[in-house]
Amino acid sequence: MSSQSVITVSNLTKFYGDFKALDSVSLAVEKGWVYGYLGPNGAGKTTTIRTMLGLLKPDQGEVQITGINPTKDPVQALQSLGYAPELPTLQTFFTGEQLLDFMGKIFGLATQARKERIKQLLDLVGLKEWGDKRIGNYSKGMVQRLSIALALINDPVVLIMDEPTIGMDPEATAHFRNLFTTLSKQGKTVFISSHLLDEVQRICTHVGMINKGRMVFDGRIAQVLETFTQQWVIEAELEEVTKTMVSSLKKLDCVEDVKVDGNKLRIELKEKKDLRGEISSEIFKRKGVLLSLNLHKITLEDAYLRALKGGQ
Amino acid sequence: MNALQRVAVIVGYEWRRALAKKWLFALVILAVAIQVLIFVVFNFLFTNPPPGMPPALLEGLEQTKPFMWIVEVLTPQGFFMSLIVIMIAGGSMSEEYEHGTSDILLSKPITKLEYMTGKYLGGLSLLSFVAALTTILGVILAIIFFSPQESLQFLPHVYLAIVYSNLVFLSLAFMFSEVLRRTTLSYFSAIGVFIASLVISGVLSAVNSFTGEQLYLDVSKWLPNWGASNFPSFVMGKLVDVPSNPFISPAQGDSDLLLAGVFVAVYTVIFIVVATIKLVRSDVTKKTA
Repeated sequence: MSSQSVITVSNLTKFYGDFKALDSVSLAVEKGWVYGYLGPNGAGKTTTIRTMLGLLKPDQGEVQITGINPTKDPVQALQSLGYAPELPTLQTFFTGEQLLDFMGKIFGLATQARKERIKQLLDLVGLKEWGDKRIGNYSKGMVQRLSIALALINDPVVLIMDEPTIGMDPEATAHFRNLFTTLSKQGKTVFISSHLLDEVQRICTHVGMINKGRMVFDGRIAQVLETFTQQWVIEAELEEVTKTMVSSLKKLDCVEDVKVDGNKLRIELKEKKDLRGEISSEIFKRKGVLLSLNLHKITLEDAYLRALKGGQ
Repeated sequence: MNALQRVAVIVGYEWRRALAKKWLFALVILAVAIQVLIFVVFNFLFTNPPPGMPPALLEGLEQTKPFMWIVEVLTPQGFFMSLIVIMIAGGSMSEEYEHGTSDILLSKPITKLEYMTGKYLGGLSLLSFVAALTTILGVILAIIFFSPQESLQFLPHVYLAIVYSNLVFLSLAFMFSEVLRRTTLSYFSAIGVFIASLVISGVLSAVNSFTGEQLYLDVSKWLPNWGASNFPSFVMGKLVDVPSNPFISPAQGDSDLLLAGVFVAVYTVIFIVVATIKLVRSDVTKKTA
């Protein structure tokens, strides 16, 4: 664990009765990282987050947020933290402004500072016109937006988000993805639990994967792709596939194997390089007519599935 | 921001939460309506005593007239105030667990104890407000309809006694709310204990009147409703020299006053301690409803 770590989770173990929900989970998140926390349903993502917040007591291990244990000193540990839960249920008797104001009071913000911050946040999350409306009248997506505004009320150093874009429309999803990236560029640490692999791949710098309560990977996004990549593949669609063409492709130094499926070729590469130029040249030499040529690098989804398989 | 300020923020939150409940208003309005109804009945009896009314009752009515404010103030105490405090506190903790809002509140820089203290004091301040409302209304009605009223200097005493005695069921409902973490179950459990106490004490009192055996009355004093229901009456009995009649209970001895006061304190402390232990030792549970 680095001394730069803003979130440190060490050997966290949590039981629900006889069920081991977390099994010696360890991770460290440093300042400015956007950390994606991945795992299938029931893997232990939310349990990890709720333990990090001091809502659950670990049976073993320890959590530190900015160097402070939230179970022992929640006031200090959570002062600089923002949290947006998964599918939040907010207090429907408040208006958006009133709830933000109440949360601002808990953080000890002065009246004027709260007023300005609330205005700024409602604008940021696209609820400017809805601030004075009761939360009971909000849609799910609007509640999700307000929940993110609530997490930002104290201008936190650490932001923990559990499935933050669930229930949002594509425009809002893109907006908030940009927001998280911007926040990390401002030096804030963002911890996102998500099952949207595309989302994680787009905005996260680092990723942790959990399965059945155990960490199966923890590292940089590029590292996870590298670790779980076996090969890159080029898929080519031709008007006609000939035996000589397949045989000449197989003879290329960069090609591991070629598989034929009708007029489609699946060319498995020895190196993780974009070799479409070389492949297309060879096809043209053999008088082939290319209809399409695509390079398939490994996606986070592939890596994720391999990681889960490996962790079982 | 210090701990007291954080507790004060939660007290304010608890008021907002309770005031959003229409049924709480309905219950308070019902209690007030009962007060007004009693006035109407007494006013009718004073102005148009029914023919053939026994002289003892007529005399009792006349003796009661200058103390009508006590009758009025204490009338909602035994039943309605207990129900109101159960409704205030019975969902205080459990609703937050059921709705998942406890996650949002307790992931903020506040300790569990500050959160619970704010919640409890929020309920207590609501109880104090409702008690003040019914007390002031009772006195105003008594002054308007049955002036002059005597011993009004003891009004603060009776008000404080009402608030204090209601701590029993406020704390009981609060404890159930935390321990069970189910609002409906918490309401039913607290109301169940309240009704059971009323029924058992009624049965014990009836057996006592048949047998003359004091033991039955002594046993009934251990029930939670005894101190809660009687403490304000005992305080008034001690302070105000009201002649015994069918409309006002006779003054009690010092021992019963002390015993009622002690039982209120003991029950309250036990219920709060149980709730505190449960909150501090257990996880913040997620949505259960």
